[in-house]
Amino acid sequence: MNEHTVVKINGNEYLADPDQNLLDLINTTGEQVPQICYNESLGPIQTCDTCIVQVDGELVRACGTSVKAGMKVQTKLPHVHTAQKESLDRILEKHELYCTVCDYNNGSCEIHNTMAEFGLEHQSRPFQPSSYEKDNSGSFYRYDPDQCILCGRCVEVCQDVQVNETLTIDWERQEPRVIWDNDVPIDESSCVNCGQCSTVCPCNAMMEKGMEGEAGFLTDTEPGILKSMINLTKKVETGYGPLFAVSDSEAAMREETISKEKTVCTYCGVGCSFDVWTKGRQILKVEPSAESPANGISTCVKGKFGWDYVNSEERLQKPLVRRDDHFEEVDWDEAIAYVADRMKKIKAEKGADHLAFIASSKATNEESYLMQKLARQVIGTNNVDNCSRYCQAPATKGLFRTVGYGGDSGSIDDIASSKLVLTIGSNTAESHPVLASRIKRSQKLFDQKLFVFDLRKHEMAKRADRFYQPKSGTDLVWLSAVAKYILDQGWEDQSFLNDWVNGFDEYRRSLEPFTMEYASELTGISIEELKQVAQEIAEAESMVVCWAMGVTQHMLGSDTSTAISNLLLITGNYGRPGTGAYPLRGHNNVQGCSDFGSMPNFFPGYEKTEDDEVRARYEKAWKTDLPKEPGMDNHEMIEAIHDGELSMMYVMGEDTGIVDANINYVTDAFEKLDLFIVQDLFLTKTAEYADVVLPASPSLEKDGTFTNTERRIQRLYKSFEPLEGTKPDWEILQLIAKSMGYDWGYTHPSEIMHEACGLASLFAGVHYDRLEGYKSLQWPVAEDGTDQPLLFTDGFPFEDKKAKLYPLEYELMYEPNEEFDLHVNNGRLLEHFHEGNMTYKSEGIRRKTPNAFIEVSEELAKERGIEEGAEVKLISDSGQATGVVTVTDRVRGKEIFLPLNDNGKSAINYLTDNRVDKDTDTPAYKEIAVKMKVLKKKGKSPIPHNNHRRGNPVPQVSVNVQKKWQREDYVFPSKKGGQ
Amino acid sequence: MARAITDIKRYEKTREQQVEENVQEVKEAVADNKEAILKGIEMLRALEDEGTLDTMRAFTRRKDETLANFVKEIDKDQYEPLLRNIPELVFLLGDLNISGLRDLSSRLNNGVEAMENEGTKQKTSFLDLAKALKDPEINRSMTMLMHFLKGMGRK
Repeated sequence: MNEHTVVKINGNEYLADPDQNLLDLINTTGEQVPQICYNESLGPIQTCDTCIVQVDGELVRACGTSVKAGMKVQTKLPHVHTAQKESLDRILEKHELYCTVCDYNNGSCEIHNTMAEFGLEHQSRPFQPSSYEKDNSGSFYRYDPDQCILCGRCVEVCQDVQVNETLTIDWERQEPRVIWDNDVPIDESSCVNCGQCSTVCPCNAMMEKGMEGEAGFLTDTEPGILKSMINLTKKVETGYGPLFAVSDSEAAMREETISKEKTVCTYCGVGCSFDVWTKGRQILKVEPSAESPANGISTCVKGKFGWDYVNSEERLQKPLVRRDDHFEEVDWDEAIAYVADRMKKIKAEKGADHLAFIASSKATNEESYLMQKLARQVIGTNNVDNCSRYCQAPATKGLFRTVGYGGDSGSIDDIASSKLVLTIGSNTAESHPVLASRIKRSQKLFDQKLFVFDLRKHEMAKRADRFYQPKSGTDLVWLSAVAKYILDQGWEDQSFLNDWVNGFDEYRRSLEPFTMEYASELTGISIEELKQVAQEIAEAESMVVCWAMGVTQHMLGSDTSTAISNLLLITGNYGRPGTGAYPLRGHNNVQGCSDFGSMPNFFPGYEKTEDDEVRARYEKAWKTDLPKEPGMDNHEMIEAIHDGELSMMYVMGEDTGIVDANINYVTDAFEKLDLFIVQDLFLTKTAEYADVVLPASPSLEKDGTFTNTERRIQRLYKSFEPLEGTKPDWEILQLIAKSMGYDWGYTHPSEIMHEACGLASLFAGVHYDRLEGYKSLQWPVAEDGTDQPLLFTDGFPFEDKKAKLYPLEYELMYEPNEEFDLHVNNGRLLEHFHEGNMTYKSEGIRRKTPNAFIEVSEELAKERGIEEGAEVKLISDSGQATGVVTVTDRVRGKEIFLPLNDNGKSAINYLTDNRVDKDTDTPAYKEIAVKMKVLKKKGKSPIPHNNHRRGNPVPQVSVNVQKKWQREDYVFPSKKGGQ
Repeated sequence: MARAITDIKRYEKTREQQVEENVQEVKEAVADNKEAILKGIEMLRALEDEGTLDTMRAFTRRKDETLANFVKEIDKDQYEPLLRNIPELVFLLGDLNISGLRDLSSRLNNGVEAMENEGTKQKTSFLDLAKALKDPEINRSMTMLMHFLKGMGRK
């Protein structure tokens, strides 16, 4: 069966993979064949005809040909060359070469480079402008039909990579062009501004607006002069040689003014990495590359375009100290000395445990490490926690109970390659857009099955093969019932259970109450459907489960996460490619912030503070005694303030006063503190209560590492210096430690990382050298640098290498009642993040999504007599919020949805209360019952006309190149046809 | 009790403080780059001596206008032949037989010299012309000219 596929190219023999794409093979041989529409990340599109070669005597597109054993390929024969030249000429009919005055002339223009490499000196036919205008209507990128060569890359990426399905090429009109939806302006379409079309465009047709008039030395001139200059460039050129010489020199000069540094996105937990192009402090564009390990060429609107907050006028540039009824700007020395003195005093008077620290999931691993070092070494308390308490701590708990590592079992590639994906309580397309696109692509093109369990009929639900709406908080029930049914039928993976799993009998007994009848009654899913789900799960060759806040932010968040892991264990879905548990991390560094020790019970690497051996290791390294008993978590800290047991809180990069549950209760606590220190970019709602506000620098202004949801540690490089007057968090923490008598002496974050990795065995082999550029490591990392993209291939991290099935019980604890009769669900919007501190600073985002809105079902709207644009007040036990209504089928019955991305009167956390997950103290954000008071019956819709939710996508596979070939004016470029 | 507040009393540096800080920053930069700055001063001096500095300053100040004037003017149709000629000239240089031309031009110079010395004073009769052909220098020139004419007429 192992037949070798030997192919002859220009007389030389090459060994190919069976069915390998011919162009792929040619590209490994060093033979040069022009190729403009082809891009490895997209695969063959077959629109540009430039890669024509001769195969066994016939001219064909290399990118459209699979290799066969014995194939004879010629790339250099005169008539092959003629055909290639004909194709290139056709491209230049559509694309005017005025490189020197083009913003895309940065050395990477694929048209320019292809023409130069091919040695094309003259154009046989003149450039033919189209009759279309430029489309400048969108916020972030523009389309120039006169420069567009119709290669279709943008369509391919929109249809099959991002899978937003907005772009098509209309091949049937006189002059084909790229169109949005059913031919509407960019701004009015379903485009979500992921920006990938502008990333993959080989030229300046689809271009980021940030680049326009900024990238070149001569491109910022007024339009009239620019036009003259374009004409001038054309007149001076007699052939392309001199033109290229001049434009290449200009491109080289641009390297002096434009800096391109790699960074890791600071929004969600997917961990997209990309180069940021900057000129001084100005951001020209964000450019992901095929090398980006988590995202490849993909981005979402926030990562690609949401960086305005970095240069916002509202950035704090001086430390602030509270003086009676106002803040006073002071210099750094004064602020640091003040903080140190007050902390020393409180520690001396009331003891170290009266001080508490909250690290930031927005800050780097190094900064999390220093926050807990400050708490433990300098102050002597374990009162240190981070915002993962608000979201994914229950998932971590569930995984620790069963499989031993509190992180995703594999990589995003495993999610993409799995045969069956279950998402539970995850609005993936809006919360983790780039990861969602991988699922959308696999489902659309590669027969992956997608089952969605959610209250809301969001995008993933609409796309799903099966969509179920279990009643709020009942996921544990159907998960356990499905597990029981699988066992009852004998469909479990017996050999996996024998080899790798402990605790089967006790677990089996614990499932007794979870009958189909019970589950159906509680969840509202029919017995028939539950049985079908069980059967398909049992039969699936591989399965992953992705879950998010819809599971964890409940009183049984940890138990439900555990139930997911139990189900994966009995079906043998751990340790193989395409399997595993994926709690999707919400922030860029939720994973890393906990990994590096900002937790009340763990040192870095999840080693217990109570473990004497571990503590001794840190005591030796830090030369001081360290506290043993676990400290307070976030939730306990707030309670302790109310109880008078906590006097100081230090919050780094977290708007606790908006994002914690029951904010009235939280802000009341802030008011009671003796000393409240907030470190942030802005004067946030939380900072308004502070005694000292320390102005920090965001990710683009510093070096460090983030760890994404895949446990992948990636480096970020400084794009530009910190804004005047601000400092990176690690420098601020170091200054405070120093003024309290501990001189850490770090000169660069790498030194912090190397110290941490010398202490925590989970990261033993992590070193900045191994993380250079786009290189990354997925923990655990052995001393020799070996990492583990897929966990559990060699057993589980317990003594006998076996996982544990964990028995569970269920009790329904929450239900709306007669007075508070509506259930409020909440979550993210694609284009905003968290409380909105960052994304609302972007004018381009704001003009399309200016504020949060309340989603109300058609049934409820009818019942209450309200329409689109109505204003309502939601009242819960804890507080009230007001907002504007949109009526939609995304929610049903008496469930309403309020995006969490608002910090005004619509802030969700005015409604939430003190209920928490019983195991981790994670607030039960998703268990809110409210009553609704109508303030106004109808009004202006809160969703503007140019919001993508109003668009009409046009799904198709790829670019429909066949329609191009069917056109009467199309002839395949060959010796005959081309002339 | 620490109520939420948003008022910020800005920390204003006095003009003197600001100047002092800036001067200090510049001083440090000068100290770190002494050599380069001294060389820079020499260069400025040279530019000033030649009057180039004024031109540069004027051009920089008016860069956009001058560029606009130039580009708009040169984009007019009447300059098209000129613009086309510029690159053509470059190619012409590639085609020319430069060493042959150099020989020819030194001969032309000799001719001009002789012409200036004697050529303007004497008169020449038809007979003188016939006689002159016997002069080897004149004969060589005539022969060369005849071959040049022949070559030029060749297709």
